Amino acid sequence: MITLPLAPLWVLEYLSAIIVLILAFLSLRLSQRLVRQDPENALWLFLNWLAITFMILSVTHMISHFLHDLIHYWRYPNLALVQRIIGGFDTVVYVTIAAITFFFHRIQRLYQRMEADHHHLEQTSHEILALNREMEALVMERTMSEMALGMAHGIRNPLHVIGGFSHRLLRKTDEDDPTRAWATAIAEEARRIEQMVERFETLAQRKTSFFAQEDLNVIVRSTLDLLTPEMKGKNITLVAEMCSEPLVGRFNKHLLKVALAHLMRNAVEATRPGGTVLVRTAKEQQFALLVIQDTGRGMPQDVVEKVFVPFYTTKIGGTGLGMVFVRQIVDEHRGVITLESKLGRGTTVTIRLPHRFTDRPEVVDEFPPGAPPTPAAPGVPETGPKR
Amino acid sequence: MRRRLSQVGSAVVVLLFLAPSQGLAQWVSWYKFGTEGSYVHETAHLLFFCAMLFFIHEIFQAHMQKFRGFRCLVWAWVLLAIWNVDAFIGHWADWTLYNPVILGEGWDRRILMDSFQTWLVYITKIDHSILLIPAFLLFYLGLRALVHKPGAE
Repeated sequence: MITLPLAPLWVLEYLSAIIVLILAFLSLRLSQRLVRQDPENALWLFLNWLAITFMILSVTHMISHFLHDLIHYWRYPNLALVQRIIGGFDTVVYVTIAAITFFFHRIQRLYQRMEADHHHLEQTSHEILALNREMEALVMERTMSEMALGMAHGIRNPLHVIGGFSHRLLRKTDEDDPTRAWATAIAEEARRIEQMVERFETLAQRKTSFFAQEDLNVIVRSTLDLLTPEMKGKNITLVAEMCSEPLVGRFNKHLLKVALAHLMRNAVEATRPGGTVLVRTAKEQQFALLVIQDTGRGMPQDVVEKVFVPFYTTKIGGTGLGMVFVRQIVDEHRGVITLESKLGRGTTVTIRLPHRFTDRPEVVDEFPPGAPPTPAAPGVPETGPKR
Repeated sequence: MRRRLSQVGSAVVVLLFLAPSQGLAQWVSWYKFGTEGSYVHETAHLLFFCAMLFFIHEIFQAHMQKFRGFRCLVWAWVLLAIWNVDAFIGHWADWTLYNPVILGEGWDRRILMDSFQTWLVYITKIDHSILLIPAFLLFYLGLRALVHKPGAE
């Protein structure tokens, strides 16, 4: 029969225990350094906790094995109780390590979600900022244009008077009168100024940098293409009823897409799986009509009234600026947005955009029956209220 | 750190002296397989094993294995997972080994290798000591790499 010495086992056991103890101690110090570097890092905290438990493990493990050998091979049965207790601590440490790791898993998930939310929020705020800048530039151009038109109008009135009187003077002055040449010069210069004002006015009316001839149908279709996967994912049916003829007008394609995408997202969020979102474009006299209708949960009247109020939101994490921008975008197109909602039945948003800037629809006349009057302060959250 | 260690030490002392003997009943003969204590200890090893695998999975899922520090940690967890399996088998073999024959006295004691189980006990005892050293060394090296490259997270 083969017999093997126990001494090598003991030597290996204690040597290993001492090395492990030293390494555990060094690891603990390193983990503390990591925590000092970044006290809010969940991973470093986890590693620190793990290093602490490893340190305890290395101590209890060494004592436990030492006692085990004393009892079994060196015949010290009196130490049995102490060995059981230390061995029990070993068990507790193993369970603690498992608990820390599984707990860390949850913390890590929360941390990742927080990071993702933070990133999303940052991205959204950048988008809002960019949109805001574009809106500011647009408003500035429009204001300048209006000022220029106002100035032209202001110049033209006295100019007509000057031109008119100079012509009357010319008619009443004899051919050989030396002042006739002066009246002629006044009349000619007045006409020249008038021509300049006309040219200036034409230029001011153009506003080509932000608006271009666009077809609303094309804008709507391209936006719907972007949102279709999202709607399919939520099992929502999209019904698109596009006007058979092109709805060409002077539109800012980018801004209208932003507005439409926001309204569509609101509709998708409000609609339960299996519901329907209808998008319809039509021609209505001199206006291009865009209707977005959902079969979502709808909004109570008090919410509808505040929909365009800045910073008003019913959503957790909403900024309360989305619908404000939508309203502003429609305003910049000299359009009108109206909103009708019934609890449990859904919401209908109607936008009327004139083909020409000067044709702003009359707000009161254009309201659908039962819709609220245009609120004093327009707009709803970027995320919008729950419908 | 010193405070924490003293707290743990105090807790051990309190448990040793104040714990009622009935309360420790579950640990009586816990090193003999079949008792509650032995089941608890074996289950703890399995939990430890699962936790290590779980953490490896976490590191890979977060794509952190591309950093040297985390690679070292992964290997440390792998070795600790193996160590737990080894300990699980070793404990079972040790605690169910009936009346092993020990010859000699003191440091000259020898164990009679009269069965497969005796061999299993002997080998797993060697593994039990050997596996822990590289595991803890890799844990240390992993932490050191992370300390020197704080951007690794």
